[in-house]
Amino acid sequence: MTSKDKDRTPHSSSASPKGEGSESDVHVLGDEIRPGPAVSSLATKAAGVAVLGLGASVVLGMLENDGFRRFSYAYLTAYMWGLAIGLGALFWVTLQHLVNAKWSIVLRRVGEILAGTAPVLGVLALPIVIPAFLGHDILYPWANHDRVHADHLLHHKAPYLNPTFFLIRFVVYFAFFTLLGRFFLKQSLAQDKSGGVEIAKRMQRVAGPAMILFGLALTFCAIDLLMSLEPSWFSTIFGVYYFASCVLAANSCLALAAMWLHKQGRLTRSITVEHLHDLGKMMFAFTVFWAYIGFSQFMLIWYANVPEETFWYKERFAGDWATVSTALLVLHFVVPFFGMLSRHVKRHKKALAFWAFWSLAVVYLDMYWLVMPAFGAEGLPFGPIEIGALVGIAGAVMAAAAFGARKVKNLIPVKDPRLPASLAFENI
Amino acid sequence: MSDEHKKESAAAEKKAPLHGLLAEYETPWQLLEAAKKVRDAKYERWDTFTPFPIHGIERAMGIRMTALPWFVLAAGLTGLTTAILLQWWTNAVDYPWIVSGKPFWSIAANVPIMFELTVLFSGITTLVGMLMLNGLPLPSHPLDLKERFARATNDRFFLLIQASDPKFDEVRTRALLDETRPVVLDEVLEDRVTSDRMPRGIIYAIIVLATAGAIPLALAAKARFTKSRDTRLHIIQDMDAQPKYKAQRQNPVFADLRAHRPDVEGTVAVGELRDDDHFYTGKVNGDYARTFPSQVALTDATMERGRERFGIYCAPCHGLAGDGDGMIAKRAEYLASTGRGRGMGWVPPTNLNQDYLRQQPVGQLFESITNGVRNMPAYGPQISTEDRWAIVMYLRALQHKSAAK
Repeated sequence: MTSKDKDRTPHSSSASPKGEGSESDVHVLGDEIRPGPAVSSLATKAAGVAVLGLGASVVLGMLENDGFRRFSYAYLTAYMWGLAIGLGALFWVTLQHLVNAKWSIVLRRVGEILAGTAPVLGVLALPIVIPAFLGHDILYPWANHDRVHADHLLHHKAPYLNPTFFLIRFVVYFAFFTLLGRFFLKQSLAQDKSGGVEIAKRMQRVAGPAMILFGLALTFCAIDLLMSLEPSWFSTIFGVYYFASCVLAANSCLALAAMWLHKQGRLTRSITVEHLHDLGKMMFAFTVFWAYIGFSQFMLIWYANVPEETFWYKERFAGDWATVSTALLVLHFVVPFFGMLSRHVKRHKKALAFWAFWSLAVVYLDMYWLVMPAFGAEGLPFGPIEIGALVGIAGAVMAAAAFGARKVKNLIPVKDPRLPASLAFENI
Repeated sequence: MSDEHKKESAAAEKKAPLHGLLAEYETPWQLLEAAKKVRDAKYERWDTFTPFPIHGIERAMGIRMTALPWFVLAAGLTGLTTAILLQWWTNAVDYPWIVSGKPFWSIAANVPIMFELTVLFSGITTLVGMLMLNGLPLPSHPLDLKERFARATNDRFFLLIQASDPKFDEVRTRALLDETRPVVLDEVLEDRVTSDRMPRGIIYAIIVLATAGAIPLALAAKARFTKSRDTRLHIIQDMDAQPKYKAQRQNPVFADLRAHRPDVEGTVAVGELRDDDHFYTGKVNGDYARTFPSQVALTDATMERGRERFGIYCAPCHGLAGDGDGMIAKRAEYLASTGRGRGMGWVPPTNLNQDYLRQQPVGQLFESITNGVRNMPAYGPQISTEDRWAIVMYLRALQHKSAAK
């Protein structure tokens, strides 16, 4: 027998937490699964970073003296990046229940905590939503009553794109995201106490209809917050395009969160390289999926060559934006495609962490590419305002997740009946 | 199997040489332990057989990572290259054909094929490479003759060391396997019973399918080298044949058999009465008119209409300012400069801001638009009379503007 042997025998039920109290489960797992003080300290630190970053961005935005226009665009870019993480995690949790996934059980609580950031993200959206509701067209031209009346197209779109309906939709989306996230987390925590298959089945039953509603909510949310920046442009695939970024960002965050917990001495035995490998596969898959969807959107518009659609790309293929477009193609697809292709990369912690950070960075680049051309400035506006907003949003999402993690007792669902299968999971 | 047959095969087996030693276990753990022993004894030609996949068996057997991913990567890149070259050759070199105004070879249009061929080549290589690396398909194997071995698909776990292994020694190998405490340790003899020949049914099926498959090819080849007076097979009719009469055809309904009916004598169709020479021909008493006809309002609205129509009908060749540098002219120049326009006749469009055109009366400009000039076709049938005058008006404005520069 060599030292390389893990000697994990099949059908091993020694790790199965059957029927006993949760204290003994912890013992059986032989793993540290409590959040611990590191999570608390992360929560306060991240909250501090959030306040500092957003505060700096607001102050600098005020100094621009343009009625917070530059700040609003910078903030929207960063916000859509943060929202991608939260919504991607919510999708991820729903998906695991929907398909009755076994491999991911050890990661599910982390996913549930990330998905639980939805209410905080809802509050963070207020600086975007409130001005639009009050009729200011800092971001959205359709919010301005006079502009709508002067523009034939906007006038036609007004029954959908108007401040009141926008606010109603926003409330509906985030109420749904919040309730869904809370439902999964609460049921999962209840299962920690009582155990049993029933709760798992209930969550699976809810996951089906929830997935349909989630798809609709995410699509319209992306259309409202991003696509309506240039309201005369339209692309029916736009929701899926944003969805690709959501899943990529969420899987990257899950991998990073798992590795951070390992560093804190948490879940070191439960989450193995096999689970990280699978997260890496998802990151790779959704890097390709993003390119697939992005190109699908581009090709139809390019081929049809209709001016009311092509202008959106024309903005992005002119001047400095052409550089950003090319960089997006190379950095968001070509480089990570070959970078994450190998199995060894996905099974190597440091390499996977590198690509997770990389993926999060290019998702931000993508958001920048979606939002900023509508700002209409000469050159590429990127400076302390944008960085402050990004750092602030990243801190806020991290703080929201860490505060959420502090409230739970265990970082894995200890009584899920599929836990043994997840612990023994192996990629061939 | 008949008794006679059994005897025969038993006799044949006795003569057959040893293929290997087969150990049978009751649990996967025993098999894993045994596999580690055999691996550490440095055997090369051996294998394990289980009813279900066992995690860790590849480590216990010391199986190295397969080289298949590299084959798949190479195949994927080959597919990508093939797609690029295929589309470049067919679209840009062998049969250049402009489709919806796009360049002959445009990457965006080629991406779907690049994607498909990459996936196709990778997928086929994965399947074929897996089969080849595993030595599949394997029509028969000496183990097929072992009745007990059927339990490898049910509840038993087997380990076979082949006699062809360089380390194989009947006594020592047997001792090694004995140490692993198998339920049964058995000899496997080479297969001298199963015929090497392919079953007749399969041979016939291949012949029939190959013949049937050649029929379409034969028909295509025949059509390629023979001539026929028959019309083509018209399977999908679309609206190719319509029950209607076309101009210059016969129609038996009328006495003169003309489908194309002439106007009734002494009548004029609505809107066809063109009794104003100035307005309809641009001439007054046989000379080109120097003024606009009274029907044309000299207003901003007419000028705007003229600008719009000029942009649609004239600017593609003559350019937005009338300098003869429209998109079509530019493209033709570009093709000529790169040598790609060989064999294409090209007369550059006229610069409308030349002196002789500035001095032409408006009536003559109107007539040129209506009936065409030299290479330029007649636009009378396409543009209404009012719009042609509006274009003339806008053109005059352009000429004045260029003269003022």
